[in-house]
Amino acid sequence: MSSNRHLRSGTGLSWFALILGVGLGITAGLIYTWQIDPVVERNTAPWQLSSAGQEDYVVAVALSYAYNHDLPQAFNRLRALRPNQNVWDLVATVACDRVKTGKTVTNSDIRVIRALEQLYRPQGASGCADGLYPTPVPLAFATPIPTSTPTSTLPPPLTKTPTPPLPTSTPFQAAVPTTTPPSGSFVLARLESFCDPTVPGVIEVRVYDRQGQGVPGVPVQVTWSGDQRDTFFTGLKPEREMGYADFEMTPGRSYSVSIPGLTSRTPVVNAEPCQATVDGETVSTTTSYWINFQQQTG
Amino acid sequence: MTTKRYVGSLLIGVLVGLATGVYLGWEQFPVQYTNSSLAALAPRAQEEYTVMVAEGYQYDQDITAAVARLQPLNKDNVFDYIQELTERFIAQSNVPYIPVMVALAEAVGRLTPIMEIYRSTPAPTPSSPVNP
Repeated sequence: MSSNRHLRSGTGLSWFALILGVGLGITAGLIYTWQIDPVVERNTAPWQLSSAGQEDYVVAVALSYAYNHDLPQAFNRLRALRPNQNVWDLVATVACDRVKTGKTVTNSDIRVIRALEQLYRPQGASGCADGLYPTPVPLAFATPIPTSTPTSTLPPPLTKTPTPPLPTSTPFQAAVPTTTPPSGSFVLARLESFCDPTVPGVIEVRVYDRQGQGVPGVPVQVTWSGDQRDTFFTGLKPEREMGYADFEMTPGRSYSVSIPGLTSRTPVVNAEPCQATVDGETVSTTTSYWINFQQQTG
Repeated sequence: MTTKRYVGSLLIGVLVGLATGVYLGWEQFPVQYTNSSLAALAPRAQEEYTVMVAEGYQYDQDITAAVARLQPLNKDNVFDYIQELTERFIAQSNVPYIPVMVALAEAVGRLTPIMEIYRSTPAPTPSSPVNP
């Protein structure tokens, strides 16, 4: 009788065995569906992204906001990442992490940091990236004048100007509209290396017009590792020269340097080690380069 | 006889339990991934991400960076994807997204005739000859 205590004669089922079987079956079913053959990952929501994916997403939100300045939209997009947390702190954290991990090498990286900061700081958040890359004041020469013609870069005749000409070194020259980048063709006028421990691995680019005046606002593109590239502009360091721009190389890499309208060969430089003598001591550093582009005459 | 009933009950229980377990594990409480890549995003979220990248391109005009930001979506061909999505937005009259997507498509060389009228800067038309 004791061996039949789990049997119910009316149905012919052992309830104990039935319940045990259900328990075993559910366990096996869950192991199979959660471990062996889980649902295919799809329709993932932004909050489920990995930290790298979330960083990409936050950067995209920040750049989008920098373009459209739609704060509610940016907020809603960030809420999809952090449904119940302070989204602005998340943006500040992403900016800080990017600075800490060295994602501030290219102009693009810096624009990203600025866009992130532009998003989180007005909302009261703060982080270690605060103020590291302030947005530069717009310069007049950065705005192209659509109606300008190639001849507009010629200096106006002195007889048209009743006042004496301004010294070329005054900062006011940066706002002279005739400094719009010329559209003519350029040639490589100088390519020379130098070894200076105070400026290691720097490409110093200078762009001159037909009259030998420095031309600000010219985009200079450097390319390395085949598909890596960065663009920077002349004229952002007017204290050096109006047509001056520089770029810091990573030791060991080769870079090609180009500007729009370059008709001669594209110069390629190598950030190779060199040795300089300073105060009688030999110092190892990285080769730097002077590269000048000259607008063609005629 | 007793053993047969016991085993039979156990088998029935296992089958019912398995069915229940599979239903729970796949339908009611499926695995929720929390370390996903952008490629696993829902299609709608991927589209929104792409639009954000396109708007970011409008901001920084860096097409290389824009394409790099789309790479984690793991599309077979990013350029095809941009073109296809842009044309779909046009077909759906998804007006707010069209201009930025058209600009992105143009930047990667995928400006198709259907996109032409949405360009922010129309292509210059040939000027009529000037009589001396």
